[in-house]
Amino acid sequence: MPKVLVVDDEVEITVFLCNFLKRFDIESQKASDPKTALAAFNQFKPDWVFLDIKMPDKDGFELLEEFKKINSKVKAIMITGKDDKESQDKAKGLGACDYIVKPLDLEELHEKIEKHIL
Amino acid sequence: MKKSKSTSSKKKPRHDYRRDLETAAKQMILIRRVDTLIKLILRSIIKNLKVEHAGLLLYEKSKDSYIVTVSRGKGGLKIPTGLTKITKDNTLVKYFTDKQLRIFGEGPLILGKLSSYLNSRTTRASKELRIFLQDLAFQFSLYNAKACIPGFFREELIFILFLGQKVNRKPLNQEELGFLSVLSSDAVMAIQNAWYFQDLDKQLNRNKNLFLQTVMALATAIEAKDKYTSGHTERVSYYSLLLADELRRTNNDLQKDWDKFIQDLKIASLLHDIGKIGLREGVLNKPGFLTDEERSEMQKHPLVGSSILNQVDEFNQPILGVKYHHERYDGEGYPEKLKGEKIPLIAQVIAVADTYDAMVSDRPYRKGMPKDQVIQEIRKNRGRQFSPVTVDAFLSLCKQGKI
Repeated sequence: MPKVLVVDDEVEITVFLCNFLKRFDIESQKASDPKTALAAFNQFKPDWVFLDIKMPDKDGFELLEEFKKINSKVKAIMITGKDDKESQDKAKGLGACDYIVKPLDLEELHEKIEKHIL
Repeated sequence: MKKSKSTSSKKKPRHDYRRDLETAAKQMILIRRVDTLIKLILRSIIKNLKVEHAGLLLYEKSKDSYIVTVSRGKGGLKIPTGLTKITKDNTLVKYFTDKQLRIFGEGPLILGKLSSYLNSRTTRASKELRIFLQDLAFQFSLYNAKACIPGFFREELIFILFLGQKVNRKPLNQEELGFLSVLSSDAVMAIQNAWYFQDLDKQLNRNKNLFLQTVMALATAIEAKDKYTSGHTERVSYYSLLLADELRRTNNDLQKDWDKFIQDLKIASLLHDIGKIGLREGVLNKPGFLTDEERSEMQKHPLVGSSILNQVDEFNQPILGVKYHHERYDGEGYPEKLKGEKIPLIAQVIAVADTYDAMVSDRPYRKGMPKDQVIQEIRKNRGRQFSPVTVDAFLSLCKQGKI
């Protein structure tokens, strides 16, 4: 079963998403700042990352680049606050597989987990 | 005797839902903020029904979806505010809004009922209905819900309330479902009420802005005519408000309602010279000294200003600032030679702000005085031209580097 690292600066969101992943028996870890995220990435060695794009210290794109340097095969689903083409294109350019827009439609999230990860 | 004792000890004291509902309804009506209101509703549900979690998807017009506004519960069952949504084409919304599909009747929809209907062999649902109901059950599972309660205002679905399982894992009983139905319709009224208040607030703000913009437009009219004093009005307003803040900090008992005072001061300071609109151009823009006749015409501008503003009810306080900003504390000012504390505070403040700016600013026919010298001059006039409290506030602002 693939492993997922969830990164969002709002702790509550990471808790919720990890809990959601647990329903699929997907093992996950959470991080809410870049330092913890990088440490978790090195230790936990996830196959997937859920990445919030807008974070205060380091944005999701920068973090994804750093993850890719450590493990070029890592796959990502970006979480964005707005439905704009620019960040979606950027996400694709950096090798993210998909993106989800907040507020999330849990049905859509469910579909994307089934489609990509399972 | 013995018998009755044994039955009463078996029976737990019944939960008095009616009283809970009355309390909840009474609290609800007092709250005008929608999110606070929903928090209260959910708290009441979790406390009374002892469910593991509860949340509310509230309709949001701008997104045309139902967004999780508040969710309560332990650990990962709590959904952060605004994180998730369901769109209008979601099966849950369709179920509650389409009478044909609402096969379990109005009011709460219970997962248990839905599942046993789907699993029953005697069910003769069409294939389409079966798929629909299966998807409905799936929607429940996404939110870990055991029950969903719709909130309607007239025909419109305003919210969907979802509940997790009870801590004791028992299904909700008839009485509890009744409690939820009544709570839900109370909640609709309260939310609708809160929305009305929000709209009203918005409208009020819009009017306030319109009013203030009109004042600004009037103020610009003076500046357009008095070419020598460009920016003066705005600066006087700026200094006046600084002075008011300082007075509020140091002499709070001078005013009862400071917020209102500051509102009025803002208007008065912007319009303090509005009366100059009525002056002959030659007098207003004359470089150098005025003749006696010209000066007495010039000195009419506070009265002219006050008679212009007299037309508007809302200006009754600002007028005092306009009319008396050339009065002197020693009674030697104009137009009424008011003395001391007879001069309204609003005018005392503008007097200092106006004089300060006039003295430091350059005019085509003279350079502005150095700031230090102007401060000296104002200090010297404490209790003569100006009221002591306003001069003290002014000097304190200078000391703090704010002026």
